[in-house]
Amino acid sequence: MAIEKKVLVIIPAYNEEGAVGKVVESVKTYLPGADALVVNDGSSDRTPEKAEASGAIVLNLPFNLGIGGAMQSGYKYAFEKGYDVAVQVDGDGQHDPKEIPKLLKALEEKEVDMVIGSRFIGDSEFKSSMMRRVGISIFSKVISLIVRQKITDPTSGFRAANRKTIQLFTIHYPQDYPEPEALVLLHKSGHKMGEVPIMMSHRVAGESSITKLKSVYYMVKVLLAIFVDCFKKPTV
Amino acid sequence: MLIKIQLFIGTLSIILLIITFELIRKEKLREEYSLLWLFTGAVILVFSIWPEYFLSRFFSQITGIFYLSAVVLLAFMFLLLIVFHFSVVISRLTSQNKELAQRYALMELEFRELRNQRTRSKRTSNQSNGAIK
Repeated sequence: MAIEKKVLVIIPAYNEEGAVGKVVESVKTYLPGADALVVNDGSSDRTPEKAEASGAIVLNLPFNLGIGGAMQSGYKYAFEKGYDVAVQVDGDGQHDPKEIPKLLKALEEKEVDMVIGSRFIGDSEFKSSMMRRVGISIFSKVISLIVRQKITDPTSGFRAANRKTIQLFTIHYPQDYPEPEALVLLHKSGHKMGEVPIMMSHRVAGESSITKLKSVYYMVKVLLAIFVDCFKKPTV
Repeated sequence: MLIKIQLFIGTLSIILLIITFELIRKEKLREEYSLLWLFTGAVILVFSIWPEYFLSRFFSQITGIFYLSAVVLLAFMFLLLIVFHFSVVISRLTSQNKELAQRYALMELEFRELRNQRTRSKRTSNQSNGAIK
């Protein structure tokens, strides 16, 4: 990079004491110039202590706001502290911080406002349950149709956003399952987005927030939310 | 029969109005809700005083519903309206609550950082003082 940009890695964590320390350490290893912000979403375990010990800045929410509210807090911090780029990485260790430079590079080279790390482009060999793959492909079709651009992995929470997008997210960020909805929001506000292939490992510890039984409910709910989003007024 | 229902509903609406007034007086009910409840009480009272005009003639002619069913229907519609109003209010409160929690967390982080900075600078100034002595 020609000009050194101020990068913040936002790591939302809810009861992730087993994984959050490793994630922060690996961010520090692969991106020594960046700051790591762990958003502790009202954890009842030792997540904040572990995060603090591994050298992260810790933002403690007074109670559980859910992933949307936690991520938005991170974006608010990034905006207020004048960061140029915010990267979101899950606190459970399924995103490999080694891949962050790829996102940052793509953000600059593709001249987009947000880059999504996709599990489904190129040679990534992401294995998951049949149901989940079907679900993601339906999301992919719907989202691609709405944003008029091919998005292979709309549920990926491994993303990098520039300052323009950070600012948008401080004002509006979806609540419950924000990843697919955020893309619709970006499109409606005229922001550009792109994808890069990344490798994703399975979570180090903890359980997915989406269990098999809930996945159908999740899909219907998010599709409904996306449908409603299409009728909302464009913002900014 | 009708007079009994009139008395019953009339009393109910008066009790509702009295309770609403009392709560407003004690400032336990915000104006935006109190208006809604006063209006509800007043409408029910009017219906119980002139049921023929409002319901048996006017309302029944339009809808074909008899007095008691009409009252139940109206009450149900009012409750629906009130519940709807509440869900709007709860949505607003939830979003305000989120904003507040986020602002609190950001301020708390800022405060912690400032305090750490101060203790660090104090420690270094103490050390340098010690060196001079």
